[in-house]
Amino acid sequence: MNTLIVNGRHVKAREGAMLLEVIRQAGVSLPTLCDHAALEPWGGCRLCLVDVTRNEWDGWAKMVVSCMFPAEDGLIVRTDSPRVVETRKVVLDLLLARCPDTPLVQKLARDHGIEQTSYQPNPEPTDCVLCGLCTRVCDHIGVSAIATVNRGAGREVAPPFHEAPPDCIGCLACAEICPTSCIPFTTSDSKRTIWGKAFEMVRCTQCGRAFITKEQAAFYDGRNGVPASYFDTCDECKRRAQAQQFSRLSAGAGR
Amino acid sequence: MNSISCADGQPMEAILERHPREEASLIQVLQDVHRAYSYLPCDVLVQVAKALDVPVAKVFSVATFYKAFSLDPQGKTIIKVCTGTACHIRGSGQVIEEITRQLGIGPGETTSDMGFTLKTVNCVGACAMAPVLIVGEQVHGGVKPAKVAKALNQEGHRDAH
Ligand code: SF4
Ligand code: SF4
Ligand code: FES
Ligand code: FES
Repeated sequence: MNTLIVNGRHVKAREGAMLLEVIRQAGVSLPTLCDHAALEPWGGCRLCLVDVTRNEWDGWAKMVVSCMFPAEDGLIVRTDSPRVVETRKVVLDLLLARCPDTPLVQKLARDHGIEQTSYQPNPEPTDCVLCGLCTRVCDHIGVSAIATVNRGAGREVAPPFHEAPPDCIGCLACAEICPTSCIPFTTSDSKRTIWGKAFEMVRCTQCGRAFITKEQAAFYDGRNGVPASYFDTCDECKRRAQAQQFSRLSAGAGR
Repeated sequence: MNSISCADGQPMEAILERHPREEASLIQVLQDVHRAYSYLPCDVLVQVAKALDVPVAKVFSVATFYKAFSLDPQGKTIIKVCTGTACHIRGSGQVIEEITRQLGIGPGETTSDMGFTLKTVNCVGACAMAPVLIVGEQVHGGVKPAKVAKALNQEGHRDAH
């Protein structure tokens, strides 16, 4: 097992772990925007940066993004060296200039001593921090209906050609994962809309509640061995049915 | 964004023949498509996505990332004026003004007969020749506004044959 030193504390790291995990294990908190337990690390927000060095490096240290840096044996990590603190502040300052009105960004900035951005605030404020979580979760489920488009200051998340994305199944995973809740959607018992695309809902044959879109049901039909009949009932009704079955079984066993 | 009509599919089929049908071919295919059509028509992008088995969103992402790609129809001849530091100092601004005076288009615009599109680019790596003007594939160095007409005509001349 690899042993590292995080802010002076010895920590043991799981094989294959990245630094960020080990840092959190050591009880040290780091701000992050693009990291998510269910997704591969991406290194997009640059907030998780730290200094790493080794005894044999003679005092030389390098700054790395901890979410993507393997927790190798013998690494000495500092999350609070002056240059790391300063660089993290620059990243937050820039982020606040991009998203001056976004509560989450304002809070992160304030937590690091920034009340107001020292840059020119974005004349067209946006809540999107370009963390890439939405596009990555959509890739992860195997749909890839949205992606980042353009580059530099004009970069944004969008469906192809800025039109209703043909591949989108309306699962809302992108909207749910968005840290600033900036992907608009509507959902009701009959209809759902997201990214300018409208979806019809599938109703539970037991309780009548709408629980997924027709496109979602079609997408999962036959995939990973899910039979079409799986979507006849909603999760709640499935749970209830299962609980009833268990209680029947245990009642039988008790006799 | 312009609404783009269906393009002739023939060049695209020939392009797809030339490359392995895999994601790694994407940029090369897009470059060839751009050369054949002078821009990336959206219906062609959709077909490229299908052929290479890459999500359309990814193709659109790549197509909008590189400055060398345009999603809007462009003129037959692309005029590029370098506005990098050296060219800027040596008068690329006047070169642009002269082109605008002659063709009636500003940077990023296309003449109504689809003959020319004017673009500005940053340092093309020939600073010793500043200011640099590229008309089609022809590179002109040390351009003075007075030389613009000739550079443009040469290209028009070539097209006529
Ligand atoms: S709602 Fe559409 S775009 Fe969002 S994650 Fe689901 S499939 Fe992808
Ligand atoms: S829309 Fe939300 S999840 Fe997607 S990149 Fe922007 S902030 Fe991140
Ligand atoms: S969490 Fe590491 S770069 Fe975003
Ligand atoms: S600035 Fe124009 S070629 Fe370098």
